[in-house]
Order: sequence, then structure tokens, then C-alpha cells
Amino acid sequence: MTEELSIALQNKLSEANIEGKIFNLVPLTGGASKEIWKFEVQDTDEVKQYILRKGSGIEGPLAIKTSDEALLQQEVKKINAPVPEIVAVSSLDEELGDSYIMKFVEGESIPRKVLRDNEYKDALPLLAFQCGESIAKIHEVEVNNLHYLQEKTPMDQLNELYSTYESFNQPSPMFEYTYLWLKDQDFGDIKASLVHGDFRLGNIIVSNSGLESIIDWELAHIGNPLQDLGWICGNSWRFGQNEKVVGGFGDLEDLLKGYNSISKFKVNENLVRTWQVFGTFRWGVICLIQAAAHLNGSVNSIEKAAIGRRVSETEIDIADLLFLGGK
Amino acid sequence: MIFDKPNSVDLLEAISHFLNTKIKSEVPAHLAFKIRIIENVLNIVIREIEKGDKLSNEVMTQLQSLIETDEPTIEALALLIKDEKIDLNDQDLKKLLVTLSKNKIAVDNPNYSTFKKLIE
Repeated sequence: MTEELSIALQNKLSEANIEGKIFNLVPLTGGASKEIWKFEVQDTDEVKQYILRKGSGIEGPLAIKTSDEALLQQEVKKINAPVPEIVAVSSLDEELGDSYIMKFVEGESIPRKVLRDNEYKDALPLLAFQCGESIAKIHEVEVNNLHYLQEKTPMDQLNELYSTYESFNQPSPMFEYTYLWLKDQDFGDIKASLVHGDFRLGNIIVSNSGLESIIDWELAHIGNPLQDLGWICGNSWRFGQNEKVVGGFGDLEDLLKGYNSISKFKVNENLVRTWQVFGTFRWGVICLIQAAAHLNGSVNSIEKAAIGRRVSETEIDIADLLFLGGK
Repeated sequence: MIFDKPNSVDLLEAISHFLNTKIKSEVPAHLAFKIRIIENVLNIVIREIEKGDKLSNEVMTQLQSLIETDEPTIEALALLIKDEKIDLNDQDLKKLLVTLSKNKIAVDNPNYSTFKKLIE
């Protein structure tokens, strides 16, 4: 299998005028939905490192095509937001499948390593501000060029999440309650922008000086920008560091300082809290979607099976936020 | 039960121990990561066998006094909330939702930060 992949990579790279022998092709620990491979190419006198990100050709209901992720990253690169440089894009009907190749970015993406390794301890205090800045930059991308992304209002999204949940026939009193609660909230009347949709540790590359690159754009869409700020505050993305509201490493105040230093509109904390509940519900439904792919037999995956038992993490988080004064 | 020892929990623990001590260090990183997931899954099953009945019964007792039917179910509660046939500000409802959430996570992931915070 590795050999076939290596040949497909070689062919694709030569279209991009990158010649040389491919070696050290290894799978990396990625998300539950995509294959990630790292490899090296021996150029004339230099070794260059690349990443292949490859989808199965079957997207979940909220995800975009992998090749569209590449187009989007190229668009984001134009406004100098930190994203890896794309070197080649492949569509589903090509040999390499729905995928793209990008330059490898030095750093760490595994959340627990970023939070615990000594190497990143000086970066962590800077990270909330830097994330705020980067999220604000993403929100300034010109949306007219992004025809492959769907535009969704908060209510569109909420109803989509709810009907997805309903379709799995696993009634959850907590989710029913959350849906009614969210329907009653003010999400902020803000102009729609590009939304990354999954901005958090795991999807950013961190070095000892902080945020290096934003990856994993599969949940991108056009919508209310505050979603990205609420999402990274969800307890699901604090990786055990409960008291650090932003991503397990920072404070909301710093995230908003970074955001407001670039954004034209200024964000207040209450709106972020509402979006935090929304984001937690959204993650719960994404867990249901992933588990359903295993349960309905379309894939047999231990990760996807296991994630079905993470829905309860989002239920306890929402119960904490709505009833017990959680932050 | 008519079955001999080792019981189901003993057997699952033996698998978990084997994967952890003999296999994890022998496989490449991306498979070691999957073995961690498998261990988590085994532990969920073990906890469900050991504590599942008690945790479910506790919720059902609370549920019975809240919705006053002979056979209360989680589905029935979900439907009452959906149709707003129960007062969403009812303190007993909120209390029940907290118990339900806590008891589920107690099996699924008792190391989860919110659960640990709430039981302190």
C-alpha cells in the first residue's frame, strides 16, 4: 500500500515540478476522519519534508472536500494568516484521491504535548492572544472568492445540528434542553465571515515561540464569526486543564485582546459564552455523526466507535454551564 | 450466573493488561495511539458491567418521581422536554439532568475534568 501511495505522490509532485526520490513515508496520528502522511523528498542536494492530507471521498455532513480545504488555505495565505504552503492538490477522480500536499511545518500539534512539554512552556502564555489575532485574520478573508463554502446563519446551523441529532434516534434529554435553550439566545448580529469551524489545539501547530500554523480546515463555512471564539473556549478542547478557559492554556481576556486588536467589531464575553454552549452542543453532534458512521456499517473504526461514548462529555459540560455556574 | 471464573471483567482486564504491557511498546506510534483508544474502550465496558445498573437505577428513581409514570424512560423525558410539556425551569428537572449527565460520564470517562470538578 505504501508503495502504491509513493508512486501516486511522485506523479502528483512532478506535475508541480517537484522531482526527487520519496522516502520516509509514514502515517501520522491524525483525526478520526482523514489520513495524514509525512514524507521526504530528496531534491538535488536538499531534503524537503511534506505532508499529505487525504480524505476518503465521503465527507461527513458538516465537512468540505479535502481538495477544497487546499483551495481555502491558499486563499487564507493571501492575507498572511499562518497556514502551511500548498504544493499540489488532487481531486477524487485522480490517482491520489481527494487530497493535497503541503510543506511540513516544524512544531507540535498534539494537544497534550503542547500543554505539558517543557519546550512549549514559554509559548503557552502568548498563545491565547496569538490565537485571537489569527482568528480575527481568518474572519477578514474575502468571502466572495469562497464559492465552495456554504453560508449558514446561527439558526440554520442550530437546526441542522438538531435534525442531525434527531436522525440518529437516540433521544437525549440534555440535548433537547440545550436546543430549546440555544433557540432563545442572542448570537450577536454580526456580518457573516469565513469561519474556520475547528480552531483549537490539535488543529494548530505550535513552536516554542507560539502559533506557527493553522491546519485542518474541513469544518470551514461562512457564518457568524463568534463561533470560532466560543469553540476554542469549550471544555472539550482544554484537554484536562479545566481552569484555563481558552484551549487549556489561556484566559478569555487575552483571546479577546488579540481578537479585538485586529477585528473591526469588538466582542464582549457574554456572547462568547453563548457560543461556547453552541460549540459544545455542536461537538456533541459531531461525536454522534462519527459514531453513526461506525454503527451504520459504512466504516468499521475503533476511533469512531469510541467517540460515541464522548457525547456524555458534552452533556456534562453543558449541564455545568447552564445549571452549575461552570465557565 | 452459571459461568466459571474468570468473569467478564477479569477477562477484559487481562486483555487490557496484555495490550498495555506487551503490545503498545512494540508497535509504531500511530498504532500505539489506537491501542490507547482500545484500552479506553475496554475500561468503559468494565465500568459499565460493574456500575451500570446502580448508576441507571439512581437516574430512574429520580425520573419516576419527576414524571410520575410507572415505566419512566430516558426517551419519554426527552420527548417531554422537546414538546415543552415540562417546565424547563423546574429545579428537579435540572437536578435530574445533572444526575443523568454525571452518571453517564462516570462510566464513559471518570477522568473527565468537569466530572472530577463536580464530585470534589
